[in-house]
Amino acid sequence: MAVKVVTDSTSDIPPELAEELGVPVVPPMIFFGAEGFKDGVDITKDEFFEKLTTGDVMPTTAQPSVGDFLDVYRPLVEAGHDVVSVHLSTKLSGTVNSARLAAQEMPDATVEIVDTGLASVGVTLAVKAAVDAVAEGASAAEAADAARKAAADTEVYFVLDTLEYLKRGGRIGGAQAALGSLLSLKPVLRLLDGEVQTSEKVRTRGKALQRMRDIAAEVGPCHESAILHRAEAEEVDAMVRHLAQFTDKPVIVGDVGAAVGSHTGPGVIGFALRRKA
Amino acid sequence: MSTDRHTAFDAQGFRRLVVSGAECLEANADAINALNVFPVPDGDTGINMTLTLRAATSADVPDAASATVGTMSSAIARGALLGARGNSGVIFSQFMKGLATGLADCEHADGAAFAGALRAAADAGYQAVGNPVEGTMLSVMRAAAEAVHPPDGAPDAPDVLRAAYDAAERALAYTPEQLPVLKQAGVVDAGGQGVVAFLAGMVNLVSDEPVVLRITAPEGGLESAAANVSHEFLEHTEEEMYGYCTQFIVQGEGLDPDSVRERVMTMAMSTVVVGDDRVVRVHAHAEDPGPLLSMGAAIGALDQINIQNMDLQHQEFMSLHGYGEDAPEQAEAAALAVVPVAPGDGIARVFRGLGAAEAVSGGQTMNPSAADIIDAVRKANAGFTIVLPNNKNIVLAAEQAAALAEHPIAVVPSVNVPQGIAAMLAFNPDLDGETNAEAMRSALGSVRSGEVTTAVRSTTIDGVDVREGQAIALLDGALAAAAGAPDEALAALLDAADLEDGALVTLFYGAGLTEEEAEEAAAAIGARPGGIEVEVHEGGQPHYHYLVSIE
Repeated sequence: MAVKVVTDSTSDIPPELAEELGVPVVPPMIFFGAEGFKDGVDITKDEFFEKLTTGDVMPTTAQPSVGDFLDVYRPLVEAGHDVVSVHLSTKLSGTVNSARLAAQEMPDATVEIVDTGLASVGVTLAVKAAVDAVAEGASAAEAADAARKAAADTEVYFVLDTLEYLKRGGRIGGAQAALGSLLSLKPVLRLLDGEVQTSEKVRTRGKALQRMRDIAAEVGPCHESAILHRAEAEEVDAMVRHLAQFTDKPVIVGDVGAAVGSHTGPGVIGFALRRKA
Repeated sequence: MSTDRHTAFDAQGFRRLVVSGAECLEANADAINALNVFPVPDGDTGINMTLTLRAATSADVPDAASATVGTMSSAIARGALLGARGNSGVIFSQFMKGLATGLADCEHADGAAFAGALRAAADAGYQAVGNPVEGTMLSVMRAAAEAVHPPDGAPDAPDVLRAAYDAAERALAYTPEQLPVLKQAGVVDAGGQGVVAFLAGMVNLVSDEPVVLRITAPEGGLESAAANVSHEFLEHTEEEMYGYCTQFIVQGEGLDPDSVRERVMTMAMSTVVVGDDRVVRVHAHAEDPGPLLSMGAAIGALDQINIQNMDLQHQEFMSLHGYGEDAPEQAEAAALAVVPVAPGDGIARVFRGLGAAEAVSGGQTMNPSAADIIDAVRKANAGFTIVLPNNKNIVLAAEQAAALAEHPIAVVPSVNVPQGIAAMLAFNPDLDGETNAEAMRSALGSVRSGEVTTAVRSTTIDGVDVREGQAIALLDGALAAAAGAPDEALAALLDAADLEDGALVTLFYGAGLTEEEAEEAAAAIGARPGGIEVEVHEGGQPHYHYLVSIE
């Protein structure tokens, strides 16, 4: 009997890392009109962004169903495992609710649900913390606490080419949502209190990236770091090199998938930094 | 012209002095406007000081029976403070406030009282600005105050005023020696000239020896200033003073214009009464024109009666300009708001898009008053309001508004539109007012500002030869280039700005340019080496072909 960690594809966890850690990834659904795809299963990232930028139908996303979670939990529980299920902020998605309902379907099993209050590779860092705790012999409850603690120490910042996708999906909080700027803005956004907040508004991508580098330097030494992106390799490489200054571990690079990409659009680049506590 | 010797003034007499000063200033407003260092169409010192004094003389005054010089001067100063427009108007309103402070305890004002009050007035003028500069209206005010030494015996008030005027005129003539930029442009300080004109108007009401103002405008300056300064704006402002504009002529025999003026002033505002013993012409703004006409009919035959309802004109103006009933009078209550001053509709929209409240209309050649700003703040209906003046000549009026308003106001002193936008980008409605104001202040320096306009006269300034009618470019307030057409001036401006690679240039086009012309200019900029990004927006500002933000 062991503890198994589960996540969903909004964590943008690199597939090879998920495989290495033995973490199953539950896919949400992406719809282009009536046409539905399981994220990362029925549609690749490249196919998705191709459709997003050239198609005339805007995608919508749907959290994984209770059934989708049960399909993942059941085999694990039946093999005698406890489950720690680590997901994105409940303020951004109902994924955690689906996971909870699925857990209630199995009253005799131990399924710990973690609302990280984060998204994308921020969730990946929490997953990693849970896996590390398990490796050190933690119980499911202890591994869930380790994930929560890591999530609380993690800062997620990102830059978008346009706020359009985020606004269309209603995933930006507070008064900022009302902004209908005539000027093109390259806002630096962050996850705060489980929501997307505007950290700073700047006018050019160059300035936004510079600001991102400054923020990473302000956060300082990190336990672990990760990049999320759908951006040019050059920008990603530069960001990897910059973050590498602040951590001993390899920088995790997560290509943004369909679920997150529907809300960010192409051109997104950002990072998750788990502060040294 | 009165031949009476006034040794001291009562409340009505003091008000007449101020009105006479205001009229002299107004008569010379265009000439004062022309005393502009830069050949840009912002020659508005004369207009701003005139409008400030109009607000002063239109203020509600205390009941005639109980008024003292103290209460009268205080009421006039309050009007000036609220009506102050432009930096010169704000400083002048502080001068009026200082005058009132000096006269506060006076039932009557004699020479000694005036001498003390002029000193208090000059002090108040100096306190109005953070970094007083000599060679400006401040030097002229101080010279006027210092000319009046502690009285040898008890000088007559007219003598004190005359001495003040003479000293002010000398100080004015000396301003080009104090400020090289004035000498270069061949002008005396415009604000100082306004102070001299005001004093001249007062002197000429009471002196046996009238003074004659000679204002030497730079060549070609006067016509262009008169042509460019927004008379529409001046009239619009007049329309904001409500009631009936009443004009008529009284014909008769043995008429006394002075006594007619005195009676009209007790019944109406903005009074001008001129004439002789046979014809008196009356111009006044009254809540009810009836008593004015009855007064005229009682002393002679009325003629050329012209009565206009300024309330209706005002409403028409407002609905014509889109301020009709559709526009909500007051925004929904909010914790925090930003009120920008915007020189055009397009720029107001850009600010709204960034989360600002309704803009105060104004900018070059149309500076809003402190009261206009307070009014916009009231309509924004927030617990805390941040004001972005977006023009160096509106910063002081915004600060005056902050001092006078009942609402908490922080002024983030943006001196141009690009700075205002940079500040607006730093605005975060989720944070408190003071934190925002601080962040917005630090953002001011992050952009450079360019302007392209048409030269209103020929001159050489900042080493650039300019011919009247040329397109000229200013970079961060200094003249950068002159060229044949706006797009050439724009190109020269960007050359002077020495753009970094990847710079962002935002163009707000206005003043007679079409979208196509602006897009063409933008394409030319985008084709420059170094990956320059260009964005074009309709600014809608008058006089300025382009306002340019460079970052």
